[in-house]
Amino acid sequence: MLKIITAVALWYALVSHSVFANNYMVEVHGIVCEFCSLGVAKNIRRLSFIDSNQFDNGVKVDINNQTVFIGVRDDAVLDQQALFKAIEAGGYSPVKIWQIDLLGEKVEFKQ
Amino acid sequence: MINIIVLIIFLTLTSKVFSHQPVMDMAPRWNDGYGVQTRIEHANSENKVWLEGVYTFKPMVRMTLKIPTIDGELDDAIIALPLKKYFNDKAFTSNWSITPSIRMPTGGGADWDAGLSLSYSSESSDIYQLYDLYALDDVIGLDINVGAVQASGEGSSWFALWDVSAQDSNTGQRILTGPVLVYFDYNFIIRAEYKFSALDNDRAWKGDYVSFGIGMVF
Repeated sequence: MLKIITAVALWYALVSHSVFANNYMVEVHGIVCEFCSLGVAKNIRRLSFIDSNQFDNGVKVDINNQTVFIGVRDDAVLDQQALFKAIEAGGYSPVKIWQIDLLGEKVEFKQ
Repeated sequence: MINIIVLIIFLTLTSKVFSHQPVMDMAPRWNDGYGVQTRIEHANSENKVWLEGVYTFKPMVRMTLKIPTIDGELDDAIIALPLKKYFNDKAFTSNWSITPSIRMPTGGGADWDAGLSLSYSSESSDIYQLYDLYALDDVIGLDINVGAVQASGEGSSWFALWDVSAQDSNTGQRILTGPVLVYFDYNFIIRAEYKFSALDNDRAWKGDYVSFGIGMVF
């Protein structure tokens, strides 16, 4: 009985809330220095859809892999154009976005 | 408007001008970014304190102001407008800059001097380099910084660079060279530098050069 309840609960969670968490990864060309990329994080944090409870106030810059992780609020939708504009205003070149699912797998995001 | 406080920066040298140096070159490269720095340098048997600032209107356009004092007395300040073109590749970023500048007679003189520099810098995850060709008044110079970068991945980085500064003016020629150490932690920076004379045919110059600066960007 417990197995059935667990399976139903899992199925409900997957169907009703989507298999994706609201975490995204952005490939950003040129981002090799944290000091120089402070403005990227600063600009992204100003976006209305960012969830400041995730990562470091909503953003994590990974200079080793030229990626930026962002958390998006559950009640909001990522605005790719605004996100790319914020990164460009920080002096770098955004390339591609992936959504990260609950298993940690990434799927290319297109709006 | 608060954001438009002009700020204060980094590295220059003696009474001559080195138009800009790594920190100013690296950050802030974001729109509405600004930074301040104070720096103490010892050269030619005198100590000079610089108060320096930078404001970045957008990645392509910055403004810098450098205000020197000697023994508490104001010397000639320099205002400059670095114009940059960035190129970003996967794990590599570079830029070309043209920087017009003006040295103002705030130290009591009457002359306004114009300057211009052309520079290129690039940075990867482990190498930084800067080449800066500049002219101001009767001075023409070339400044080169090349070295290694060690980033922690947690917000701090070390830069261990070697600097070569060549200069020609009415008083002669000189080449100074030596190590530069830079440490960043989040938005805070410390820079220390020592240079000795590799060539000294400049009658207005004697001895070594030492500089220590701290600054922040926002």
